[in-house]
Amino acid sequence: MQNPIAPLLDSANRIILGKQHQIRLALCCLLARGHLLIEDIPGVGKTTLAHTLAKLLGLNYQRIQFTSDILPSDIIGASIFDPEDRSFKFHPGPIFNQMILADEINRSTPKAQSALLEAMEEQQVTVEGKTYRLPSPFFVIATQNPAHQIGTFPLPESQLDRFLMRIELGYPDRNAERELLSGQSRYHLIENLKTELPPEPLKNIQQQVNTVHVSSALLDYMQNIITFTREFPDYPCGLSPRAGLSLLNAAKAWAFMDSRDAVLPEDVQAVLPAVAGHRLRSASQDSAAVVAPILERVNVL
Amino acid sequence: MPVDIEKNILLFLLISVGLIALPHIYHIPASTFGFFALLLAWRFIGIWKPSCLPGKFLLFLLTVGGLVLLYSQHQGLFGRDAGTRLFMTALALKLLEIKQERDLYLIVFLAFIVAASQFLYEQSIAMAGYILFVCCVLLGTLVAINSRRQNTLNALKTAAVILAQALPLAIVLFVFFPRVEAPRWMLFEDKSRAKTGLSDSMEPGSISDLSFSDELVFRVRFQGQIPPNRLRYWRGPVFSVTDGKRWTAAKHYTYTAAAEPDFSEPAYRYTLLLEPQNNNWVFALEMAGDYPPQLRMNSEYLLTRSGNPDKRAEYPITSYPSYRTGTLEAHKLRTNTQLPGPTSQKITSLVKRLGGFDKRPEQFVDRVLQHFNQENFSYTLTPPLMENNPIETFLFETRSGFCSHYAAAFTYLMRVANIPARVVTGYHGGVLNPVGNFLEIRQADAHAWTEVWLKNRGWVRVDPTAAVAPERIEQNVNIEQQIASRNISFFSADSDLARQLDWLKQARQLWSSVDYNWQRWVINYHSANQTQFLASLGIESLKQMLFWLIGLGALFTAILSWLLLSRKEKTADKVLRCYRRFCARLGKAGLKRKAGEGPIDFAKRSKEAYPDQAAAIDEITGLFIKLRYQKESSQADLNRLSERVDRLKIRRR
Repeated sequence: MQNPIAPLLDSANRIILGKQHQIRLALCCLLARGHLLIEDIPGVGKTTLAHTLAKLLGLNYQRIQFTSDILPSDIIGASIFDPEDRSFKFHPGPIFNQMILADEINRSTPKAQSALLEAMEEQQVTVEGKTYRLPSPFFVIATQNPAHQIGTFPLPESQLDRFLMRIELGYPDRNAERELLSGQSRYHLIENLKTELPPEPLKNIQQQVNTVHVSSALLDYMQNIITFTREFPDYPCGLSPRAGLSLLNAAKAWAFMDSRDAVLPEDVQAVLPAVAGHRLRSASQDSAAVVAPILERVNVL
Repeated sequence: MPVDIEKNILLFLLISVGLIALPHIYHIPASTFGFFALLLAWRFIGIWKPSCLPGKFLLFLLTVGGLVLLYSQHQGLFGRDAGTRLFMTALALKLLEIKQERDLYLIVFLAFIVAASQFLYEQSIAMAGYILFVCCVLLGTLVAINSRRQNTLNALKTAAVILAQALPLAIVLFVFFPRVEAPRWMLFEDKSRAKTGLSDSMEPGSISDLSFSDELVFRVRFQGQIPPNRLRYWRGPVFSVTDGKRWTAAKHYTYTAAAEPDFSEPAYRYTLLLEPQNNNWVFALEMAGDYPPQLRMNSEYLLTRSGNPDKRAEYPITSYPSYRTGTLEAHKLRTNTQLPGPTSQKITSLVKRLGGFDKRPEQFVDRVLQHFNQENFSYTLTPPLMENNPIETFLFETRSGFCSHYAAAFTYLMRVANIPARVVTGYHGGVLNPVGNFLEIRQADAHAWTEVWLKNRGWVRVDPTAAVAPERIEQNVNIEQQIASRNISFFSADSDLARQLDWLKQARQLWSSVDYNWQRWVINYHSANQTQFLASLGIESLKQMLFWLIGLGALFTAILSWLLLSRKEKTADKVLRCYRRFCARLGKAGLKRKAGEGPIDFAKRSKEAYPDQAAAIDEITGLFIKLRYQKESSQADLNRLSERVDRLKIRRR
């Protein structure tokens, strides 16, 4: 089977300019069956990224704009009385889509946030005693304004842990910006994108990611990293076992995207800022700086 | 709850326990050793048939049985023998009670104690080597218990390495640690073991028991000249009192000090290394002039030592073969002419015929020797039995015997002629070990001769055996004995067999030499020797020595910790070792791998630095990744990696 990853990345890179690494991470997160949190100021292309990925993967896409007055039922859906049937009928909310863009998630109240996060974790919602399965694949890209902006409810650490990765997009560089300004409208481009990786092959790939080999030497390195985060005095708390599993899955996906059948230390290092940054210090925006001591001090061999 | 202990570990343990107990077979009564062997065999069977191992009740009975067995032999647990046997019994019983890993450790430690107890019985170099080997096997057992993956050979190898590393420390401790003399009670039961050796009385025929004994009595190393064989008389106990059959020492004045004889040159200086003895006699070359102050000389010119004759001791002595003793006091004259009752007619007429009553004593001595030589007297180590009146029977009927017969008869004849005479026992000759250049005197060299007191010369040694079998005295050849012990060769000297025997002889001499040095430097290294040796290093007191010990310890620790800390952590992973070698090569050229740098990143950086080696670096990195991180790799990959790393040539920037 030809690797469909490369054309997919190519197409995405043509829409979002100069952000190859972030796009790669976002796709990696998706292949590892994790959810993605993008933290950045408005207008740097968070929505465009989510929209592009949904289009390329041929997924149903729904955007939920979180506001301070949004309610859980606005996300999950509600039972409404049907006068003809004389019964309550469940009307699914926007969450019943394969790809959700939860925009500005930290503008809403904790109650609405937790409704989404629970759905993310369990891949199902329960309304009035009845359980409804969410579609598969199910992928949430949440965006978040920097915590210092006015009118935000920052996500607590426990909920940040549910996101496999947190990435920052940042401003485009000068060339990319020039191209953006002089080029076609992004919206138009997205509309014309064709699906590169439909859901069925995507599932296949997700399964293949699981079979990527992890040697005991690599597990040693991973455990050294985890132990280091637990002992290093600058981190308020170390990586949890779930975080360790997340790191391993992300590294596997990263290795797979590099067409390798075994995880290398470099794979772990590549995904480490995105996977560990928000878990180790939620307030910091610079994940690379947060994990720098790990990359520098934990011996690979 | 019983833990499943692997079969091969149990097997390993039982074999090592068996090896340890094996030499004890010589010191332990058959019943105790049988008990031990029985339980060991039981345990062996238990490896394959765990159901036949004893239950709690049976084990209790066995314990009681073992203790009763011990108690019936010793009535207590004090002393060396009882203690050793107690440990053996406990070890055997514990073998049947292996339930957890802890029990294995306990057994191993018990076995170490049993191994050490071996040295209470035997301290030869061969035994030391054997115990060292056994300790290696025991350590191997410990290694095997702790790392179940290792196979037996690897465990033994590790144990040998550990042992080799421990040896220098053991040597330092041996030399410097204050020597503690074993308390006497530990040696109490040693008395029960009869040692061969000269006894404090003599009957004609008694020495022949020793004639075939190869046991070493003492060794002598001369400074300078070695005296010829005819002068090598090593003086032992002197017997002046006889009842016609038995000769004993004159007890009442044995320990009065001797009047020193006049000595004349030449002098022989030597060191005497005495093996453990039953009596405290020191067999000096006749006649000892200078000797260390811890020795005393009695009035019969026999050197004795105070203290424990069970221990090896070394004495520097100077002897003068030509000497002249003084006058004879009246009571000594009486003792040395004493006869048991009236002399028989036959003997009186013989003495008369030989001129005992009218000639000068010197002439009479010569004529008696001539009589022995010319009449039909013969030398044999297996003379017929002489029950009653042995001297008369010997002189007139059997006429065959060995040194003690001749010495006794000669002395008797002298006394009949009223010449003071006495029997001297001791050793004669000794074999020179050309490798170590020392004489070895064995029990087979035991001898008896006569001393006659002559008016102007004092006590003079006369060896009547020399008149009968001069070869025994001149060349130290003891024909009968050699035939009996099959040392003599009936082949011509240049035949192959003779040459081989010669080889054998040389090997034996070499071994004796090694053993001599072992005895001298290791076994005999007691507190006095230690003090002397340390004094030669400039260490005068215990305090100073403690400083030395602490100082040496600190020095060793410092050196070792420096070595350990400065060395990169070593790993058992061969792949990693190869890769580290690769990193070290680049590191030497100035390109150090950072701790957090993965192999690919490092390869990228090194390729930038050494574009000419890009292919080699890529291959090494690829192989390393394959071996370390990928699912499948082969030994061939490792070999290739190792070879590529060796072939890599990096020029210093």
